[in-house]
Amino acid sequence: MKRWLVDLALSRPKLIFGLTLLMTLLLGVQMVRIQVDTDPENMLSALQPDRVMHQEIKKRFDLSDMIVLGMVVKEGRAQTVYSNEILTLIDALSTRIMAIDGVVSQDLMSLSRVDNITQSSPGEIRFSWMLENLPATSDTNSSVENAVKRLPLLNNTLVSADGKAAAIYIPIVEKSQSYRIAQEVRQLLPSHDMLDFHITGLPVAEDTFGVEMFIQMAISAPLAALTVYLLMLYFFRNPALVASPMVMAMAVVISTMGLLIGSGHTVHIMSSMIPIFLMPVAVVDSVHILSEFSDRFRSGDDVKAKVREVMGHLFTPMWYTSITSSIGFASLALTPIPPVQVFGLFVAFGILLAFLLTVTFIPAWIVSMSPEKLSALASARQMTAQQEQSHQTVLSRMLRALGHLSIDHGKWILAVAFAVMVVSYYGIRQIQINDNPVRWFEAQHEIRVADRVLNEHFAGTYEVFMVLTKTPENAAMTVERAVERVFNSRKNSDDFDHRSYWNALKSEVASNATLEQWLQFLDDQSFSVEEKYQAFLSDVIQQISMALSGQRYFQQPEALAYLDSLQSFVNQSGEVGKSNSLVDLTKTVYRELRSGEATDYRLPETQNAVAQTLLSFQGSHRPYDLWHMVTPDYTSTAIWLQMKSGDNQTMAGLLDKVAQWQKTHPLPEGVVLNWGGLTYINVIWQGEMVSGMLYSLLGSFLTVFVVMVVLFRSVVFGVLAMIPLSITIAGIYGLIGWMGKDYDMPIAVLSSLTLGLSVDFAIHFLQRLRELKQSLGSWHAALEEMFAEPAQAITRNALVIALGFTPLLLAPLIPYKTVGVFLALIMLLSCLVTLLILPAIIRLKADPSA
Amino acid sequence: MDTLTSMYGKKVSRLALAGFMLWASWGASSVWAEALSARMIMEKANLAAFYQGDDGRAEARMKIVDGQGREQVRQFVILRKDLEDGANQWFYVLFSRPSEVNRTAFMVKKQVVKEDDRWLYLPGLDLVKRISAGDKRTSFVGSHFFYEDISGRNINDDEFQLVSDNDSAYQIEATPKDPKLVEFSHYRVVIDKQTYLPLSAEYFDAQGKVYRRAELLKVELIDGIPTGTVLKMSDLVSGGYTVTQMRGIHYNLGIPENVFAERSLRSPPREWLDNSAGH
Repeated sequence: MKRWLVDLALSRPKLIFGLTLLMTLLLGVQMVRIQVDTDPENMLSALQPDRVMHQEIKKRFDLSDMIVLGMVVKEGRAQTVYSNEILTLIDALSTRIMAIDGVVSQDLMSLSRVDNITQSSPGEIRFSWMLENLPATSDTNSSVENAVKRLPLLNNTLVSADGKAAAIYIPIVEKSQSYRIAQEVRQLLPSHDMLDFHITGLPVAEDTFGVEMFIQMAISAPLAALTVYLLMLYFFRNPALVASPMVMAMAVVISTMGLLIGSGHTVHIMSSMIPIFLMPVAVVDSVHILSEFSDRFRSGDDVKAKVREVMGHLFTPMWYTSITSSIGFASLALTPIPPVQVFGLFVAFGILLAFLLTVTFIPAWIVSMSPEKLSALASARQMTAQQEQSHQTVLSRMLRALGHLSIDHGKWILAVAFAVMVVSYYGIRQIQINDNPVRWFEAQHEIRVADRVLNEHFAGTYEVFMVLTKTPENAAMTVERAVERVFNSRKNSDDFDHRSYWNALKSEVASNATLEQWLQFLDDQSFSVEEKYQAFLSDVIQQISMALSGQRYFQQPEALAYLDSLQSFVNQSGEVGKSNSLVDLTKTVYRELRSGEATDYRLPETQNAVAQTLLSFQGSHRPYDLWHMVTPDYTSTAIWLQMKSGDNQTMAGLLDKVAQWQKTHPLPEGVVLNWGGLTYINVIWQGEMVSGMLYSLLGSFLTVFVVMVVLFRSVVFGVLAMIPLSITIAGIYGLIGWMGKDYDMPIAVLSSLTLGLSVDFAIHFLQRLRELKQSLGSWHAALEEMFAEPAQAITRNALVIALGFTPLLLAPLIPYKTVGVFLALIMLLSCLVTLLILPAIIRLKADPSA
Repeated sequence: MDTLTSMYGKKVSRLALAGFMLWASWGASSVWAEALSARMIMEKANLAAFYQGDDGRAEARMKIVDGQGREQVRQFVILRKDLEDGANQWFYVLFSRPSEVNRTAFMVKKQVVKEDDRWLYLPGLDLVKRISAGDKRTSFVGSHFFYEDISGRNINDDEFQLVSDNDSAYQIEATPKDPKLVEFSHYRVVIDKQTYLPLSAEYFDAQGKVYRRAELLKVELIDGIPTGTVLKMSDLVSGGYTVTQMRGIHYNLGIPENVFAERSLRSPPREWLDNSAGH
């Protein structure tokens, strides 16, 4: 097959070009259908239980994603936001924001859109807009200030406790519109001599990330291409020849992205990194071909024969390095995180496509070059070879020194490697798993600034929901039981007649009818019922009504008391800035119905009193706010937690503490606790990622090992090939642990990448070493020779990849930078480890006397 | 004689004034006529919808449905007494369901020239509360109806204009005199020409979009009076709505004034609340 492919390329180069162009065009046009996905929720599959629950919670309590607009009094100013002028501004801004398309206007939370609950005089209750009748002065409005401080649901949420900052919470229909809406909000903001404005909230962070992702794709990927091109130009000094791998890599990147988009996948933060990963990896094999070809080709040689010779020599190692890199990436499919799976599989595909083009397109390109250019190549190569003789001595001298070190001091090398492993082991144990999408931005990014400033002033802009649910029993059963109670209390002689009346009646009700629907039906019947059944029917209605009341669990004082104690616990846990729930609402309204004094800030004593307190609240301007806290049937309730930090560790800490607390304060019987909110979802996918990455790493480790054994037809060599990459991976993760760098998404995917890429060095090293051993006879001589030309080729390759990733450092987004730094580090480290460890082991094993 | 001359004088000046106005508004005379008749139509509609008979009782069942189709029910009896047609009237509302709010009572003394008086009795707290005067565009017990929709919006709060007029109905546009007091920019009412019952009303926001719609779904002839018995109020933004069904309606029962005393909040006037009241 390899013969056939290379021959085809050499004899029909135009066909190869045509096919490559056709594929690139066909797949390339798919890119217009691009859809960007920046939703961290998509880190979990749509069917993942926690995500399903999160969505269910959002729906159940009608919760929208929020953009937060913060208005903060400039530093050094003595004023608070309670001046009439600023309050008027808040009012005007709120009105205009509500008119923006995509804003859920009825749920917008701002001082001007909420009710003040007061007793304007004893025996009165009043619900009035908080900012009605603002005087047109700039005086401090102490009545609004006092009102806000009296209302726990508003204080420290709409205005900070110090009065220095006010917020407008802007609920939006769709997360994907948040960037546009945030832009429109920004345009409404006046320049103000007293206020700084900040816009934040996870949806904005996500959406802004999507926009910046494009910027990075448009800048970093071409820069990577340019870097690689310049490096190759430096090595080969022939623009026309060096252009071939670049054109080929471009075709690979375009085709892979086209296929990804064309097959209906969204471009996520992970898949946006595909071009920049493929670019250097795709040209690596070509570097070998160009290297060997330019070394061997002399003017007057038969080009086809030379290419055939070079390809015959390189085909197998290139195939194996492509396979192993592919496996490394494809193993990411074993993680339970869809964007990571897509990323892994498509990079794997791209690598195989790059291999196919490397063995066809590059030969086709070389034979299509004009004889003049080729002879120029030969002479240029000789010239550089001479130049290199003089100035490359630095690299070659270093490599030779390295060779002596590893060959002559193998024991020390292995001792150091062992020490590194031990140190790394302790480093790995210190790894902190932590991520927070807001931290994907640089520290000085406006979103990070807004996040910091607003969380300094307010109770917190990160949302978590604790949902308690008591599922009621089946309605039909409740009805049967209610009817039995009626019959039991009657004990009349006409029971038989009544039973047949009842059976006829109930056959008209749908089997899945709710108690509320049963009541409506029976109530309708009561208008046309025969006189003799009237008493019976009204008894049944009475019984079902009572049963229905009993099912409204979160109206019951003991249920609210449990919520109350849970809230007091989380409020003092340290992780939570503030919690808001039905309990706070009930207590506040109850206080205003009673004396209005702090002593009456408590829960009512009976279910009816709770229900009537809430009925009073429903006479306000925003009755539907109640349904963000409890479902209309009162079987499920949500506590809204405001967190100052969106870090996974904060969230995980809270989960732990609540689990501990529940041991001494068990949930009431039949009550289930669920968590929701993006901050919680982040913890879940992080957890899945850690275990998923472990599987992925083990899976690819074993597969690559098997491939190595097959390639070298030797278990010993298979084991040897795995040693450098094992030390590299351990070393890198040990370093991450010791550095205190959080283990986040980009760090997690690095393990599989390392495995796939760094094994390449071992393959080339061992393959060449075995060839040299055969021709030179002894391992020692072969090792000496390895540190001449072959080590240089390996080092050169490591440099191409490592430097090819450095443009990622210019990216405005942290995950890209992380990947850039660590990949360069991994490449250099695994190259170094390969060149040190393998000779040391082989020397000690093959020649123990040394 | 003095009186006579002055009366005469007044008459003259009134005529003169009318003549002047007629002249001044010559070009726009048709607008004048329409504006007057629009107001008259609204007055008739107000009477037809809120002042049937001299008094009345009805049982209401409100089904409150949210945007997700989840239902809540409120059931109550309403008693009404008109002190003067088109002007002051009193309402008494007693809730029976949900059973947790059973015996909660609500009373309104609607006054055209000053703020209404409103009271609420919460039996679970054994508490009578006055609901402070002011904004009446707050929810009525969590439904999509506002207090104002239940007792009728003060006809003096809006300017009216006849928008269209066909064989069966008038369409009138109402614009608030003080836009700061309401959340709509204007609303449009369709009024049946025969019964003068408002068949629908659509509320427009500042952007000119309809966000709220009231509809009369069923009209029945009760005691000879055309009466809307099924009403629906939709919130077009959230997709939620409330349907109110009225039953057991009786007019001209002769309900005495003392039924609307504060005492009735705690001890409901059973004889008037019962379906057989007055019969």
